[in-house]
Amino acid sequence: MINILLIFPIIACVLVLLVKNKTFDTWIVNLYAVMHLVISSMLALGYGKNNFTPYFEIDGTNALFLLVLSVVFLMVTIYNNGYIKTFDFSPNKISRYSFMILIFVLSMTGTLLSTDLGLAWILIEATTLSSAYLIYFNKTKHSIEAAWKYVFICSIGIALAFVGIILLNISTGSVNTLNFAELYKFAPTFDDGWLKIAFVFMLFGFGAKMGLAPGHFWLPDAHAEAPSPISALLSAALLNSAFLVIVRVFKIVEIAGCDEYPRFMLLLMGFISLFVTAVFVYHIKNYKRMLAYSSIENMGILAIGTALGGIGYFAVVLHLIGHSLAKASFFLTAGNILELYGTKRVKSVNGVINADGKTGWLWVLSCLGICAFPTSVLFISEFLIVKVLITQHHYLLCGLFVLLLTIILYGISRVVVKTAFGNVSEDKIKSIESNKKKITMCMYIPQFIMLAIVFCLGVYVPSFLNEIISAAIVGF
Amino acid sequence: MVNGFIILFGLTMLYLAATSRIIAHIRVLIVQGFLLFLICMSGSEHMNWLNIAFLTIETLVVKSIVIPAFLYRVLRKTHSNRDVAANIPHFYCLVIASIILLAGFLLSNYYISSIKLISPMFFGVSAATIVISLWLITIKHKIISNVIEFITMENGIFLLSLSVAKEMPMLVNMGVLLDVFIAVYILGLFVNEINKEFNDLEVSHLSDLKDYEYND
Repeated sequence: MINILLIFPIIACVLVLLVKNKTFDTWIVNLYAVMHLVISSMLALGYGKNNFTPYFEIDGTNALFLLVLSVVFLMVTIYNNGYIKTFDFSPNKISRYSFMILIFVLSMTGTLLSTDLGLAWILIEATTLSSAYLIYFNKTKHSIEAAWKYVFICSIGIALAFVGIILLNISTGSVNTLNFAELYKFAPTFDDGWLKIAFVFMLFGFGAKMGLAPGHFWLPDAHAEAPSPISALLSAALLNSAFLVIVRVFKIVEIAGCDEYPRFMLLLMGFISLFVTAVFVYHIKNYKRMLAYSSIENMGILAIGTALGGIGYFAVVLHLIGHSLAKASFFLTAGNILELYGTKRVKSVNGVINADGKTGWLWVLSCLGICAFPTSVLFISEFLIVKVLITQHHYLLCGLFVLLLTIILYGISRVVVKTAFGNVSEDKIKSIESNKKKITMCMYIPQFIMLAIVFCLGVYVPSFLNEIISAAIVGF
Repeated sequence: MVNGFIILFGLTMLYLAATSRIIAHIRVLIVQGFLLFLICMSGSEHMNWLNIAFLTIETLVVKSIVIPAFLYRVLRKTHSNRDVAANIPHFYCLVIASIILLAGFLLSNYYISSIKLISPMFFGVSAATIVISLWLITIKHKIISNVIEFITMENGIFLLSLSVAKEMPMLVNMGVLLDVFIAVYILGLFVNEINKEFNDLEVSHLSDLKDYEYND
């Protein structure tokens, strides 16, 4: 099963390059998305785990990450079917777009499934290189700036992560492996000092990719300038892949018994991320950048949850699912607004609900979802993190956590209320009416599905999903 | 013998810090690639032929021929010969780089000499190279210089991986080679695109995306 996930996109890429037909490209990306979801659901439920290479395997933790990736990818693909119709590019360019999406998803899938730290590192770098083209897709001055920053900062981050891998190799002593299972097995014999330094390098390196402050500078630029489906994939899938690598490395440190300092580092970076978001979201001028900052915030929450441990892990898994779905929906809806108004400036967007009811309400609902309004599943995860902070007697941190979240909540909802309600200005009505025709049904449905899942999970978690979540927590 | 090569490698970083012509920087990359080749070969008695062949390709072919040739082409296309670090004069650049190098030597000799697994000389120079490269990236004004310093940082990391007495798994080595190669290729392409779009290669042009006064 795993083989199909990894080999199919390679064949598909070759076909896309050979055929160069818009309909065929769309068709093959759709086929891969459906296949991805079917296979990852089967893998998550325990079917077809055997595989011919030891480098890619499924376990409880990556099964959940893979499932989230599949759902987001399928939804983004459905949206993309409508979005691609709004393009007026050459068929050649559209082929390259589909080609890069396939490579991007392949490298993320590979990262999630890899059993070797070295391989995961290589594939993370592959995600950078493949998504750089997608960010630069519109070929404007701004997109080239964003893509340059993205490639450069992430490459340096990844290079530092490699220094971490070398230091980990030093700490392992006579054990010469980067296989996660073996690293876990021999972890108690590792040298503590080197292991801690290695973790710091890897946390910073992969953290830059994950969007944790202070390595987050590329994120608002890249997410804001990329086409909206790509922003959704970046935010809801790519950041998770980097997070999984950090979780795996963290587990090595935990088993080695020197996790106090790494936990502190995670907590620190988590709170800095929240702080950075609070500062920038408060007076944000560009609504896509706002969503990007919100991703930094949520990655910060994941880091904090991981640092706290215990029920924190459960909260992290729930938060990861909720954030991926809600944020993908938020970004896709932002794509609709961009299509309608032709600008990303908050100032120039007014009365989305009046202009296009469905987009407007999706915009408001996505905001409620991401701001952890009950019954959003994010409410439960954030509530649990507050609970853990209190039970571990971190009262001050708990206060800070709630305060920063409130500021962010205010910043985001201010923008959403300002843009969603009110009347559309006279001079824009005509252009909006003509732009509205470009938005097809498949640019609404994915968001509805994802938001429905987010709000349902807050009240009811089906037993099969509960089992998958419990299996995922074991890997933390 | 090896120590001599490593010291020469450290000195190339000082040269990089003290010069402003980009063509000279590219020549430094060639020298560094060659020195890395010599360093690899001095310890080659314990390696099998596959590893030797691979390291030769990585250092001699990619690091000292392919990448510099590619950068040279980019340089010719973009007509940017000098990078003047306006904020910090070259003399101070040299002094700061020397201090970092010295600190690398001292720290590694002081802390690491007790661990048999790594050689302090390797460790000190490679750590200093990484730090000097990162520091130079922050002060240089031309985009192509940033790419060059990125490569010297990768060279420093390569030296660090050599400093570990045991070998990194082959797979990792191959991946690193591929990554560096593609990363440089993509960065080079971007340099071209940026040159086309902005008619110049100043980093300061790439500061349009901000959180305030945003125009799109």
